[in-house]
Amino acid sequence: MGMSDMKGMSVDLSVKIGSKLLPNPVGVASGTFGYGREYEELIDLKDIGAIFTKAVTVAPREGNTPPRIVETPSGILNSIGLANVGVDKFIADKLPFLKTVPCAVVVNVAGSTEDEYHQVIEKLESANDDGIWGYEVNVSCPNVRHGGLAFGTDPAQIERLTSTLRKMTKRPLVMKLTPNVTDITVIAKAAEAGGADAISLINTLVGMVINVKEKRSALGMITGGLSGPAVRPVGVALTYKASRAVSIPVIGMGGIMTADDALQYLLAGASAVQIGTANFVDPHIPRAVLEGIRAYCVEQGLGSVGDIRGLFD
Amino acid sequence: MSVCGCAVGPGNGKGGGMGQFRATVASNRRIGDGFYEMALSWGAMAGAPHPGQFLTVRVSGDTVPLLRRPFAFAGFDEAARVASVIYQVRGRGTELLAGLAAGEEIDVIGPLGNVFPVGGDDKRAVAVAGGVGLGPILFLVSELRKQGVETEFVFGCRGEALIPDSALFRDAGARICTDDGSAGFRGNVVEYINTNIKLDGGTVVYGCGPEVMLKSLCGLTERSGAKGWMSLEAMMACGVGACMGCVVKTASGYQRVCKEGPVFDGGEIVWG
Repeated sequence: MGMSDMKGMSVDLSVKIGSKLLPNPVGVASGTFGYGREYEELIDLKDIGAIFTKAVTVAPREGNTPPRIVETPSGILNSIGLANVGVDKFIADKLPFLKTVPCAVVVNVAGSTEDEYHQVIEKLESANDDGIWGYEVNVSCPNVRHGGLAFGTDPAQIERLTSTLRKMTKRPLVMKLTPNVTDITVIAKAAEAGGADAISLINTLVGMVINVKEKRSALGMITGGLSGPAVRPVGVALTYKASRAVSIPVIGMGGIMTADDALQYLLAGASAVQIGTANFVDPHIPRAVLEGIRAYCVEQGLGSVGDIRGLFD
Repeated sequence: MSVCGCAVGPGNGKGGGMGQFRATVASNRRIGDGFYEMALSWGAMAGAPHPGQFLTVRVSGDTVPLLRRPFAFAGFDEAARVASVIYQVRGRGTELLAGLAAGEEIDVIGPLGNVFPVGGDDKRAVAVAGGVGLGPILFLVSELRKQGVETEFVFGCRGEALIPDSALFRDAGARICTDDGSAGFRGNVVEYINTNIKLDGGTVVYGCGPEVMLKSLCGLTERSGAKGWMSLEAMMACGVGACMGCVVKTASGYQRVCKEGPVFDGGEIVWG
């Protein structure tokens, strides 16, 4: 798995997270790919390293008051509010399909309290479905009143939540971090100390757009989360800082549209990347990014995608 | 980023499979003040579009504008496999689109969304379009007439300069309403229907256009007992049901305009 031939040279594209291997380093980010099925007709899911699902919470969530989306220069601002079917329906209705996909499935988990995170993981572990590769824990959503960012900005809460969830599963556990903090290294270290197998970053940056004519926010919930190419330099910088603060893998994301964008993250210290907003622009971008990373490895004479970060001091 | 389509009710089974492909622009011309009609070659692997459905296009290879733009189908020539859309230039994305010449290619995903429920026992229909809501209603009117449904088509706009210079439009034989009275009936489409068309329980009203128009239409259908199907527009990111960004409030909770819609039962919509 993960080995591929190109111009006679094979490149190991696999990425080790905890005790498991991702087939390749290009995943699709939570909230941008639904539960996989939404894009099945358009692309070959074999090209995707991992689907990070839409966030799953204990109870179904209707989500926030619309409008939920507004376009910004090279980006989008969203306030979806973790709209999702809830863990029971996820297990009953979404997992059977996810079990059949030819890529890793990482279930993104969210909650308002520590107990809610526990309940979701407990139910998913009880489902004991071999379709679940691992978990990504969302401690960084800017669009909910409770939980989300409240966990993500407090290192003590991150460490405690991580260590409790760690005891509940042997599957890879990835903590998804927010860029809306003063020092990302403190938060990254807290996740590592709690026993996370990896961290992923960045979730969206808090932003706001005002419609001047109507004198009100463009979004129903006033503020939202900014993503897309506009935030890429922030993501690359935080990947650089976080990856030097911890020894667990960093999964970088934020505004990746091309292989070169992804290579910035990999050079900055990421072990893998996620494609988010770009899926809305062209769902074939993940495949193009993967092909570009492979070609770069060949061109640089690297045997493994993991060798890329060694090229940058 | 907004779709003004009109389309389907429950049971989105009529559209073919969606596809992503490079479409060739067959024609792209101005048909009124700020309004354009574009015809595109339709991909062999994509299903045939039905009235109410929409497509999305990537208007540039750059990151501004970033998101794809959705447009409802205004027609589909099955023999030639050419799809048409009517759009209004509203910003940078539609400006770029208006600049495309015949022979140029554009990245298309479609058909997307549900379809207008058509046929069955419905014997009489009133199809109502306001401004840029014209495209999907034109497509619908041709389908209704094909199925032998007695159809009245009402089109409203601000003034004469916005009346489309288009064969698709002329062939559909619209009752024209203008706000300023520069052509046809002086007043909006709802005023026209109020004074000229009798609605009853045997009538189906289809609408696409500004929210204020659709809301008034739903008022008319509710009072008369007519059935109403409204095609909504919303800001969209993915267009395929993944992002939950384009929802509208309905009696059964938030529904995605791109997936459960864009056509909704008028009686189910909870107006803001």
